[in-house]
Amino acid sequence: MLSGLSRRRILLLVVLTCVLLITLDKRGNPVIDQIRSVFARVVAPIDTATEALTLPLERVWDGISNYDDLQQQNEALWDQIQLMKGNDVEAKSSILEYRELLKLNQLTSKFQYKTVPATVVGASPSNFQNTVEINVGSRQGVQVGMPVTDGAGLIGRITKVFADRSIVLLITDPEFAVEAQVLSTPGGPAVTPEPPTDDTTLSGIPVSDLTSSTSSSTSTTTTTTQPLPPELTPITDPSQSTSTSTVTGSSTAPAAATTTSTVLEVVRETGTLEGQGAAKRMVLRFVDTTSSVTSVKIGAIVDTAGGNNSLAPQGIPIGIISRIERQTGSSSALVEVTPNASLQRLNFVAVVLYSPNQDAVGK
Amino acid sequence: MRNIIFGPLLRLVPVGIVALSIQRVVFAAHPVHDVKLQFVLAVVVAAGAGGGSDRGAVAGFVLGLLYDMSGNTPFGLMALAYGLGGMTAGYVHTFTPDPQWWLASIFAFIGAAVGEAAIPVAEVITGEQGWLTSDARWTIPIVALFAALMCPLLMPVGRWMMGVRRKKWKAMLE
Repeated sequence: MLSGLSRRRILLLVVLTCVLLITLDKRGNPVIDQIRSVFARVVAPIDTATEALTLPLERVWDGISNYDDLQQQNEALWDQIQLMKGNDVEAKSSILEYRELLKLNQLTSKFQYKTVPATVVGASPSNFQNTVEINVGSRQGVQVGMPVTDGAGLIGRITKVFADRSIVLLITDPEFAVEAQVLSTPGGPAVTPEPPTDDTTLSGIPVSDLTSSTSSSTSTTTTTTQPLPPELTPITDPSQSTSTSTVTGSSTAPAAATTTSTVLEVVRETGTLEGQGAAKRMVLRFVDTTSSVTSVKIGAIVDTAGGNNSLAPQGIPIGIISRIERQTGSSSALVEVTPNASLQRLNFVAVVLYSPNQDAVGK
Repeated sequence: MRNIIFGPLLRLVPVGIVALSIQRVVFAAHPVHDVKLQFVLAVVVAAGAGGGSDRGAVAGFVLGLLYDMSGNTPFGLMALAYGLGGMTAGYVHTFTPDPQWWLASIFAFIGAAVGEAAIPVAEVITGEQGWLTSDARWTIPIVALFAALMCPLLMPVGRWMMGVRRKKWKAMLE
């Protein structure tokens, strides 16, 4: 086959063919998509067979090399589960109130969108792509651009869809960008929670108070300055009116205890969150470049901002601000965000059936 | 036509699919220091080191295309990168048609480094942004070292895959 061609001609042929194929694929070619889809079906049983053959060997190796680590990890996870049981109750209560407020103000949120559960069936075999493959596709209603989450938050967006599988671009990929918002408390301490004890949740509320009667014993009221009807006058200081939207809430302790009211001012800053590569933190670029220096603090929560041109609905948690580095000669700072989701250990995920604006998908 | 059907392609495609499956199931799932070892690239450079640069280029092209079919990479990108890698490894035959294992491993190392480095470079050239931000300082040498270590084991497979018979290169040597 090759004897009739010189080395240079073979190289030229290979390069030109590759350039032609890359060009065709970049321009969007249904034939290539079809080939990929067929190839995926051909390879799937071979992958299964390879997995069946290699799994016993992997388990033996893991048993020899990782047994002690796994035991320690297991004990640590059990401790974590106990803590999270308390947090879960508190979180459910907050979500219910959040939904009520959204309904009251006729706002939309991620909760109005259905999700499709999926399993991660493979990671990208390449070192230069941060993608995973999931086992749902167009037959389940998945479309390009839809956000994908796991239990901890946003993990990425759909970039390719086939009949029964899809490719998810992870949030750490340099090509990934999403509109994000930061809720922080200017003037006060960082939003980093106090270390919880066995009897309290992360926010310091006794677990017993939450588990006994959540609806009656815990009363949290949150009011918003802008969208509320005029009859509900919010507790705000006029001097605090800034260009950013300010949310003021007052939390009340359980009825049986001494009532302590704390006025908590929360500032919402928006920007674009961009991936920087696997094992690297994401970078948040604010619309208002001075925000990162003035109001945002380490530990602040970052979630999706929503909006017409966003890839995801509002309110999907992404991560927390882990580092703010001032840049010499610039009014802005480098804000790094650590994702909530553990992207190296993805297993079960959910595709949010939210169709973003096509312009946003193109971005 | 007969030569193509009953020649290397008949062996390249099934070997490539099995290598790709091992890559996806084993090496993609178990990165070493956050680097995914590239088994398919190791097979390509072994074929190059065993059969010469022209055969290495063809092996890289075909196995790279299979890689592109299975992943999210632009169709033809891995074929281009692996083709270059296989061809570079095959340059060992300019020294001797039957290279010693260590010499083949050295060229496999160089070929794998070229093949792995070509991926982000080609991607930037084709218009994707940001791929050079990936930490290639560690990725490339680790992937190349893996290919060099695997080369003595995979070279017989590579030769068989490309239809290179032992008497052919022994005759050339004599």
